[in-house]
Amino acid sequence: MAYDFAAMLQTIKDKQWSLADIDWDAPGAETMTDELRAKMRPFMADLVWIEHVGARGFASLAKKAPTPVIQEIYRYFHAEEQKHANAELALMKRWGMLDEHGSMPEPNINVKLAIKVLDDYGDTLPLTALATLIPLLECALDGALVKFLLDEVSDPVCHQVFRHINSDEARHITADFEVLELIGAGSTTKLLTESIGSLKPQIVLGLIVVFVPLINKMRDNIVAMGLPEKKLYNAVKRFSAIGGRGEFTKRVPAYHVLKAQAAMIVDRSHVYHRLLADPMVKVTRLIPARLLGKPQSWTEEITHEPVAS
Amino acid sequence: MSLGAFRGEVLRGTEWFGHDFTGQRVAVVAPGREAAQIVPEVVATARSVKVFQEEPDWVVPMPVPGPTVLGVAVARVFLRWQVKDPWIRRLLTPDRRFGSRKTAPGLGYYGALRRPDCKLITWPVYAFAPDGIRTAEGIEHQADVVVLGASSLFAKEGLPA
Repeated sequence: MAYDFAAMLQTIKDKQWSLADIDWDAPGAETMTDELRAKMRPFMADLVWIEHVGARGFASLAKKAPTPVIQEIYRYFHAEEQKHANAELALMKRWGMLDEHGSMPEPNINVKLAIKVLDDYGDTLPLTALATLIPLLECALDGALVKFLLDEVSDPVCHQVFRHINSDEARHITADFEVLELIGAGSTTKLLTESIGSLKPQIVLGLIVVFVPLINKMRDNIVAMGLPEKKLYNAVKRFSAIGGRGEFTKRVPAYHVLKAQAAMIVDRSHVYHRLLADPMVKVTRLIPARLLGKPQSWTEEITHEPVAS
Repeated sequence: MSLGAFRGEVLRGTEWFGHDFTGQRVAVVAPGREAAQIVPEVVATARSVKVFQEEPDWVVPMPVPGPTVLGVAVARVFLRWQVKDPWIRRLLTPDRRFGSRKTAPGLGYYGALRRPDCKLITWPVYAFAPDGIRTAEGIEHQADVVVLGASSLFAKEGLPA
């Protein structure tokens, strides 16, 4: 039976929440010790930026959506990812991780590259490529990182925030894979032409330069925090596990490409890490950020204030 | 929370026309074609304006006779000329497939949006709170007055059946 996207859209509307629903001054902030604060700050900064970049990904998906209802769902997901970034920034403020002006931490070079690629090519990527890439990143980065955070931090406000975020993310993953099913059920010719269309060298190169080191950089940060990287790999495995349950997803060529990449990511002994991903983390570190130019103004939209006057 | 939860003033239809908004924070909730007419008028007297654009429309400086395609071409040039920020331009551009093909006159719309006291917001509005509007990016935007466009999603709310 066809998936009811209209019912999903209604659920999304019904489940909206606001930063103003949360008491940001509630007790519990003192559980963040100086040691934990120092350890968590770069991790939180990465997390905020990944949500923010994810939001931009959904903005591009909304332009490509196959139906108006799915377009509206993506419009909400775009806003929700921004909400997650805002809420995580508010947690950083609560924990004293921001400077005296409360300004947004600087993104790392891999995030800056992701912003550049999304600004330049995001809206021109074909639906199949984008609709496959976003759930992989959601499974790998969002899912895994959030789990780490909840294991590390006991602040009840953090747990309250992430109950909301996890509930949103569960809907994102469900809708993402249902859209893949819908794409997979389409005509073979369309699937092939769209897939071949996405093979433009600048796009393929852009995606490799950006997303290969992005995931490995995150893994390095996780390992540096003394956490088991296995959890990241388990999250990545979810991508092929959920995709494998679908009836038509396996007809999408981009899904197989990213599934193969996911399999390489979770195999620590694979040459992918030694010859491609790890060296790329080192090389991208050397790229001067000013070469990338000024990012578009969506990067300034983030705020930790629940109420704007 | 529906529109009834909002404690401030709600203006509908053309009630905004000629209204004095001095000292007030105004929220305009409307599709682009209506916002293009409402916003330049409201921004002239209001303390600040937030435009909750429900959907973008092609805006032309003046009515363009002839086929729609000509009007859209004029609207594209007008947008490119008036709005230098590529992201804001993207937010003001109708969707290629499901978006509006209509053009609406709004000579002063983009000029009004460029003012520091006027902000374009395209996040979906999901609720009205006593002091403002809640949008799906999790923020409550405070307002003293809400101006609803005639074809806003909320235009019929709170009216007698």
